[in-house]
Amino acid sequence: MRKSRLTIAAVSGAAVSALLLSACGQSAAGSSDELTFMFRGGADEKAAYQAAIDRFTEETGVTVKMTVTDADQYATKLQAAVAGNKVPDVFYIEQANLQSYVASGVLMDITDAVAEQGVDLDNIWEYGVNSYRFDGELQGTPDGALYGLPKDIGPFSFGYNKTMLEEAGIDLPDPDVPLTWDEFVDISSELTTDTDGDGTVDQWGTGLNVQWNLQSMVWSNGGDWTNEDRTQVTVDTPEFTEALQAFADLTNVHDVTPSASDAATLDTYQRWMAGEIGFFPVGPWDVSTYNELDFDYDLIPWPSLGGDESATWIGSLGIGVSATTNNPDAAVELATYLSTDPEAQQTLVDANIQIPNLVDVAEEWASEEGAQPANRREFLDIAQDYGRAMPAAFTYGAEWYDELWINIQPVIDGKQTAADYLAEVQPKMQALLDKSHQDAEQARAGS
Amino acid sequence: MSQTTDTVTDDGPAPAGSSTPPARRTRSAKDSNRLHRTEHRWALLFVAAPVVGFLTFTLYPILFALYASFTSWNGLGPMRFIGLDNYAALLQDEYFHQSLFNTLFYMIGIPIGLVLSLLLALALNRRIVGRTAFRTIYYVPVISSLAAIAIVWQFAYNGDFGLVNQVLAWFGIDGPDWLQNTATVKPALIILAVWKGLGFSMLLYLAAVQSVPQSLYEAASLDGANAFQKFRTITVPMVRPVTFFLVITNIIAGAQIFTEINIMTPTGGPEFSSASVVWYIVRKAFQYQQMGYATAMAIVLGLLVMIVTVIQFRLNRRNSFSID
Repeated sequence: MRKSRLTIAAVSGAAVSALLLSACGQSAAGSSDELTFMFRGGADEKAAYQAAIDRFTEETGVTVKMTVTDADQYATKLQAAVAGNKVPDVFYIEQANLQSYVASGVLMDITDAVAEQGVDLDNIWEYGVNSYRFDGELQGTPDGALYGLPKDIGPFSFGYNKTMLEEAGIDLPDPDVPLTWDEFVDISSELTTDTDGDGTVDQWGTGLNVQWNLQSMVWSNGGDWTNEDRTQVTVDTPEFTEALQAFADLTNVHDVTPSASDAATLDTYQRWMAGEIGFFPVGPWDVSTYNELDFDYDLIPWPSLGGDESATWIGSLGIGVSATTNNPDAAVELATYLSTDPEAQQTLVDANIQIPNLVDVAEEWASEEGAQPANRREFLDIAQDYGRAMPAAFTYGAEWYDELWINIQPVIDGKQTAADYLAEVQPKMQALLDKSHQDAEQARAGS
Repeated sequence: MSQTTDTVTDDGPAPAGSSTPPARRTRSAKDSNRLHRTEHRWALLFVAAPVVGFLTFTLYPILFALYASFTSWNGLGPMRFIGLDNYAALLQDEYFHQSLFNTLFYMIGIPIGLVLSLLLALALNRRIVGRTAFRTIYYVPVISSLAAIAIVWQFAYNGDFGLVNQVLAWFGIDGPDWLQNTATVKPALIILAVWKGLGFSMLLYLAAVQSVPQSLYEAASLDGANAFQKFRTITVPMVRPVTFFLVITNIIAGAQIFTEINIMTPTGGPEFSSASVVWYIVRKAFQYQQMGYATAMAIVLGLLVMIVTVIQFRLNRRNSFSID
């Protein structure tokens, strides 16, 4: 009797204390010779980082615990970790979230620490480094404090199906001179045919997703999403309107893309890979897949809508250090290892999922004999020359930018004019941008 | 312990003027009191576990959320109290209205699912060959991971290569690109939800149908009732408690539909046509870091669900009946 009571008491006591313990949560203690690193990505990235981390552990004696998440869960998990005061020592950071993490005191200013490590920042892509600089007002400026190092930069390039053009007897585009818009449309029309004679078109000039390809057209036409200091949304300007209309006209006037009902991303991507599409964008992360395809492809500068200049965007993901880490020196060192370690870089580059982070390595990589695609130097031209940050990369959050895409489909389908739609959406985007500025101020005031 | 005993003894003497029964009562009271008090302590300890759990994991988060909904907060930094601003903004937010409408629209699947699962339960209640196999087959989606199911259905709904359109093509129907089309994306998601939930509802209905006393059917047969009359006047009323339970739980779960939407239409569907309230909440909270505003939406959603549930309990009370 007594014994069983004791058992019951012990069990219930344990249950209650377990509840209380889990409620309180563990404090982020962690010993100083272990670091945590949280990131997202596939097996390639993990393998590459494992090699870098092993060497890091060997040299410093500091062990590293890696946490990998799915791409779409990363933001949620990181936020949960922050809310629970268990910020990983080193973690991936998106450009658009940098300011809020800085304002909330989550990210450490690593300007001096990185300098002490003897890292030659000039040998990392300037765009990549500047993406994680923030001077308290503007992000992406060359003299702001450094809050992260680039994990990579992703220049979004343009490619064509070489085999298809050769078969059609079309002169291959010049790898150094961008096509004018008319040339691009002409070649695309020529490619859009019914190859097997069954009465339906089964080969198209191009098939672009508006969300990732409109940028190039807008910029090369002299337009932009915002003004210089990112306070005014300028999507209702004539330059912008013309670009969006030209985009929609590819489908609705020139008929050089798969029809509107087939225009979802997956499908044109699949069709490109099946060799049914002439022109298609190519990112460094696509190269490993595209190199396996049944046709030859190569890179060219983006066709220019308004003049003779190309334009496109460069993505980037950063590696930041927690402001509350117990071991700041080791954490910064780990971040620089992950960003610049030559062997880790080599592993990632060999896997054909990114371009080298270090400029000199990249130069060597681009001039390699027998490279595929042959003109992979185009990636470097974008990185050095004509690539830009995504419109929302340096604003406080991207909600204002995402608003443009939500209801854009009727324009693409030709049911609404670009001018009408942009006039309608501009005030909404402006309101959201204004709100993001207010939020930024609030966050700054609170820090 | 001794303390307790003393106290009880002190209580011992019977009040003046009373006769023997009180003494007996005191005697028994003394025992039960002692037992009662120790038992009571143990009881309290046991009660404490769920109560502590409730306080820390339910009440505290609710109160915290309530406060957060009155603030401008990015989920990381300090909170700034802004009163009812978030709620005022909700009234103007057309995406919130759209997501509420979408969420309501998805609930069309509830009655469809219930009718199908009741019919299925009746069918599988008969002595047909392989009924255990059928019951298992219909239950498989219930125990499968929703994320996995969503991915499989996403393939199935693909406009070009999807299984659904391939099957439609056998009948000469040119199926749409289900998930890319404002007109078809919600029905597509409803079909998935009905399919996924069928097994569970069927199982509960099966149990309910089997517990209907046979005597009722026999009596009805003697009175000359046909099969449909028996179904309408005996089976349906007798399984009403299960129907009630399923309606309530389906509405509560349906109000929180998220996973399949997030996986199958990661951007909320064409022109926001598939986004549910919870999907919008998650997007606001974690992608745009507007935790205060997102919490206000969560509170409104919670209140709506509560109101609907209370109304249903009222309605059900009116309809309740019992058999002696």
